[in-house]
Amino acid sequence: MSLFRKIHDWLNVRLGVDDLVEKQLTGYLLPANINRWYSLGSVLLFIFTLQVISGVLLLVYYVPDADKAFSSVTAIMNTVPYGWLIRLCHVVGSNMMVLVLILHMLSVLFMGSYKRPRELNWLSGFVILTLVMAISLTGYLLPWSQLSFWATTVATNSAGAIPFVGSYLVEFLRGGTLVGPYTLGRFFALHVAVIPIGIVAMIGLHLFLLERIGVSAPPFGLPDTKNPWKGDRFRHEDHPGGIPFFPNYLLSDLTSVAIYLAFFLLILFFAPNMFLPKDAFIPANPFQTPAHIKPEWYFLPNYQTLKIFPNEFIGLMVQGVGITFLALLPFIDRGREQHPLKRPLFMVCAVGGILLWIGLMIWGHYS
Amino acid sequence: MKRLHNISFSRLIGVVITFLLVSVAPTLAEGDTVCIQCHGSQTGRGLAPVKPWQGSIHAANGISCNHCHGGDPTDSSNAMSPQRGFLGAPKELAIPDVCGRCHIGIKADYLRSAHGRALGKGGPTCVTCHGSHEVQKVSIELINEKNCSRCHSYDRARIIRGAMQQTEATLVALSQRLEEFKGRGVDTAGLEKRLFAQRNSYHSLFHEVNPAKITAESAKIAAELNLIKGSLDKIDAEHHQRKVIGAFAVGAALLGALLLNLLRRTYS
Amino acid sequence: MESSSRRKFLVTCLGAMGVTGLGAVLYPLFRYLSPSKDAEARQKVTFQLSELAEGGAHYFQMDGKAGVLVRPKGGTIAVFSAVCTHLGCIVQWQKAQDQFICPCHGGQFSAQGAVLGGPPPKPLEKLPFVVNGTTITIG
Repeated sequence: MSLFRKIHDWLNVRLGVDDLVEKQLTGYLLPANINRWYSLGSVLLFIFTLQVISGVLLLVYYVPDADKAFSSVTAIMNTVPYGWLIRLCHVVGSNMMVLVLILHMLSVLFMGSYKRPRELNWLSGFVILTLVMAISLTGYLLPWSQLSFWATTVATNSAGAIPFVGSYLVEFLRGGTLVGPYTLGRFFALHVAVIPIGIVAMIGLHLFLLERIGVSAPPFGLPDTKNPWKGDRFRHEDHPGGIPFFPNYLLSDLTSVAIYLAFFLLILFFAPNMFLPKDAFIPANPFQTPAHIKPEWYFLPNYQTLKIFPNEFIGLMVQGVGITFLALLPFIDRGREQHPLKRPLFMVCAVGGILLWIGLMIWGHYS
Repeated sequence: MKRLHNISFSRLIGVVITFLLVSVAPTLAEGDTVCIQCHGSQTGRGLAPVKPWQGSIHAANGISCNHCHGGDPTDSSNAMSPQRGFLGAPKELAIPDVCGRCHIGIKADYLRSAHGRALGKGGPTCVTCHGSHEVQKVSIELINEKNCSRCHSYDRARIIRGAMQQTEATLVALSQRLEEFKGRGVDTAGLEKRLFAQRNSYHSLFHEVNPAKITAESAKIAAELNLIKGSLDKIDAEHHQRKVIGAFAVGAALLGALLLNLLRRTYS
Repeated sequence: MESSSRRKFLVTCLGAMGVTGLGAVLYPLFRYLSPSKDAEARQKVTFQLSELAEGGAHYFQMDGKAGVLVRPKGGTIAVFSAVCTHLGCIVQWQKAQDQFICPCHGGQFSAQGAVLGGPPPKPLEKLPFVVNGTTITIG
């Protein structure tokens, strides 16, 4: 008997590995008409893993002290061998994470996979979106450049629009009246420990729910595209006659990861400064605000919305209503139909919303 | 028609004259010295320096009348009192002392030079080339045929300008490249300092007006600048190498995607 | 081509790419984490003789290691590595007893670095130094 066989048998009688493989891998069947959009979740897992690895590596040389942060990042970019590669991985990766996350959310919206019985999955995904935005915001401050300092000042200022508790909230966020060393301390703790643990926990919940409820079938190419859920008792959504996860769908996931990797490496090696304007290389000066300071692209729609409304509080409220609507979508949209072309009201709202979001972003960029 | 007769004719004349005065006279601001306030409302010689000074680099940097001419810029009755240090318009021989109160090194260079030695004997003072009140930021354009051939042939000045023009162009080009590298995240602090030092050496070159020395010094500066350029070229080469590796990496990822897809197809 | 032989070929290709990819990731990672030689560059340490009191010892860092300069009463200046030859603790100069004592296991060294007692197997490593008038340069 070969060594591999021996190890396999030893594990099998203790853990039932054959059964595990059958249930989770070879016997785990996915819808036959599954498309490439479904692998965005795995791509996100890959991006997140890369962010954690590059982040931990940066931790080896980064110093979270207001006097030393900028020079430690400069050393990583110039002195430490391949430090530039690790840092750029982290910068480009963080922007990719937000982009792919939005694409993943859009695919869920358009294929109606947020509808019953998957409301909890949508909610957990929504919480992950919020956490990813928060981790991006906190991470932005850490290099302590002019860009970091002033973008954080603008972003934390917006909390001041909340009546009564606004100004206290801003001070609490910043650890002081203005952005300073105390802000760096708490943002660092949030970015490196608190939020990553939160994201991992929520991803765990998200994947558990996915497996427990079962993968939804895409509505394309099916005669009846209505949601089949009966709602009388718990029923795992099986896909008999579908594609096994291992090796078929796993290979499809890996292909998507490879395509993402090609795109990611293209940006990293040929346009790394897309996300690093010149203010990112000037150390923070609390006495001099640079001209044209604005937040990162994914916060521009929020920024522009605040600028439109004469009253900042109304600007915040409008965004709050929009975000709440998005979060509670599965409870608001109770239709059974899943095919996007058979949901005209949804399509109008969704496409309109996306165009509005992109329009606000472009306006925010040029204003 | 009745309304027009009600407006007094003399009042109308008064308005017109005030309007003319205001448009012709230089604008007087709140924070002006008493010097400007008084001279600005004069005519002829008294008014002459005001507008040129207002457009000068001295004015832009807060250097006013009293910094060169002495006197009290806040007290109009004693503004031009010798007890308050008023010097008046300096005589020709005293001009380098007035400018040299701030531009110390340049005064020393000038006095050492052929120009300085010809002071009082038909040679140029500071204001001959730079002007007295209309002083602008220094540029190599000050060395030109019209300016320099007022007293002698342009030949030596042409050599000096030639040598300096080359250095000037290199300095500007390197400065731009450094800015670009900085925007890419390269740590340019050390190189910026070296360039700054060379720029200072270059700027202090001219006033000795010694073509041989200037050519020799310019060559030395050019050599140092070449070293800086070498460092920048090395960084450029490194960045280029990264791009080449990047191209391979992207290609490999795409190839991987293709092979994985083909492998998946063998299972369907 | 037969499906299974095509499969084998693709798996082999992907395997080779995977191994190369792994190498391409591990090499920069290794370089990134390796301690740099310049971080603790060979730098000579200099002192003014006037700074050093008689009977006293002066500790310093050189090449990332601890060293000590001793100026014993009525004796010659000596410079050693301050690392105990037993298990690597830093030896402490005892002014009153004119000797070094290691705090870890009680090893004793003389003002000339010789072992006087305790577990250390070898004397303290001598470091080269040069006296130039009023300055002493080590290294």
